[in-house]
Amino acid sequence: MTAGALKVESAASLAQEVARRSGQNLLACYQCRRCAAGCPVGEESGVTPDRLIRMILLGDTQGALDNLLVWKCLACYTCGTRCPNDIQTARITETLKQMGKKAHLEPLLPKVAAFHGAFVKAAGQAGRFNELVGMGMYEMQAALGEFKRGGLKAAFDEVATQAKLGKAMMKKHRMHIKYESVKNKGEIKALYRKAGA
Amino acid sequence: MEVAYFPGCSLHSSSELYDVQCKSVLGKLDITLREIADWNCCGATSAAKVNDFLALALPARNLGIADATGLAEIVIPCSSCYSRTLVAKERLAADPKLAAEINAELGDKVSGRIKVSSILEVLLPKVRSGEIARKVQKPLAGLKPAAYYGCLLTRFPSTVPVPDNVENPQGMEIVCRALGAEPIEWGLKTDCCGASATVNDTAQALLLMAKIMKDAIARGANCFVTTCPMCQLNLDAYQEQVREKHGIRARLPVYLITELLGVAFGMSPGELQIDRHLEESVGLLKELRLA
Repeated sequence: MTAGALKVESAASLAQEVARRSGQNLLACYQCRRCAAGCPVGEESGVTPDRLIRMILLGDTQGALDNLLVWKCLACYTCGTRCPNDIQTARITETLKQMGKKAHLEPLLPKVAAFHGAFVKAAGQAGRFNELVGMGMYEMQAALGEFKRGGLKAAFDEVATQAKLGKAMMKKHRMHIKYESVKNKGEIKALYRKAGA
Repeated sequence: MEVAYFPGCSLHSSSELYDVQCKSVLGKLDITLREIADWNCCGATSAAKVNDFLALALPARNLGIADATGLAEIVIPCSSCYSRTLVAKERLAADPKLAAEINAELGDKVSGRIKVSSILEVLLPKVRSGEIARKVQKPLAGLKPAAYYGCLLTRFPSTVPVPDNVENPQGMEIVCRALGAEPIEWGLKTDCCGASATVNDTAQALLLMAKIMKDAIARGANCFVTTCPMCQLNLDAYQEQVREKHGIRARLPVYLITELLGVAFGMSPGELQIDRHLEESVGLLKELRLA
């Protein structure tokens, strides 16, 4: 893919905001591409960590927020571990997801956004992640999304796929009906409040 | 020896068998686990993708509770919980302002005293002291595990002390050899299996697991061994789909490190709950006359 032209004004503000939020010194990137060689989702994303950093430095806000790497990144931290200048691009994709949400951008992979959103919500309600509750929240959102995009059949396929695994897990007593929660929920709520989540 | 213990949500639900195994197997090594009181979810991979403050504050609350126990060490078997907690400890130590901001909301404040350990950090001294070798009743002859570390045991989003080689860790191989197993050498031991994406970006996760399985098989492994409940469940529960989609014929049981320890110490698969894997995993042990 091409990197596009430099947009001077947006470049300074975008790079600064990403650097401040992620704690990563993007300017240290000299495009050696060791991160690209190690990225497990680079090929399928069509964007590698070095390209993402380049887009940010060139001020391509739309490109930086709205690309598959931001949503496919698994936070495996391979790129950052191999970076000679200690830039952890997984922190950058985490940051860009949050910035995209703030800018009311529709996530490129809605199911990824729904999953992590449901996880954090479920963990906040009880203080612990109850798999049935969390997965239920996620499935509702994922199936609804599939319905909007692909109709009833797509929604049904989504639920059926997860139900198949759920059934196998049940058989091995790996699904827990038991609901666990933290006693001091006040503390959890206070932390979520402070986080603005 | 008493050690503080953080099971995390996984070991209290889908991977409860790992909780049972940690208690019984470490018990045989005279390590008593004291589960910390009223712990909460660490936020895992998801919190950092949604909210930076929460990703540190959630594990910090557990650290405060762990510090208050007065114990010297906390063992966290789940790689995700271990990583998030260790990162929170180091970040709070480096950023007093953030630590104060979080501590203001906590009854048990984070002092940063307690050492955060993975299960390997608790096991390796027991290999060095010879205690593990002395407890072995059934050497795991014929078992050729591909030691699978995944991402979060050696790679972190910020600087933390890493207790093993980052690209080619050896901790699990050392434990396996002490049990009489013959771990294979392979190159994908720290590759990502995509566990956090399996339900939301399924094709991608299946592809990553296929690469890992193919390499392990090509190098002569007859099983995986891992310390991470997320990797275990992922490679186990989705293996059938991986095999179908990517044309892999061989099946590889995915054992937790505690299962290999337990079997070598003479425990039965039933006692260890190995029959709760989604892939049939007792057969290989029987074939090798280990069960």
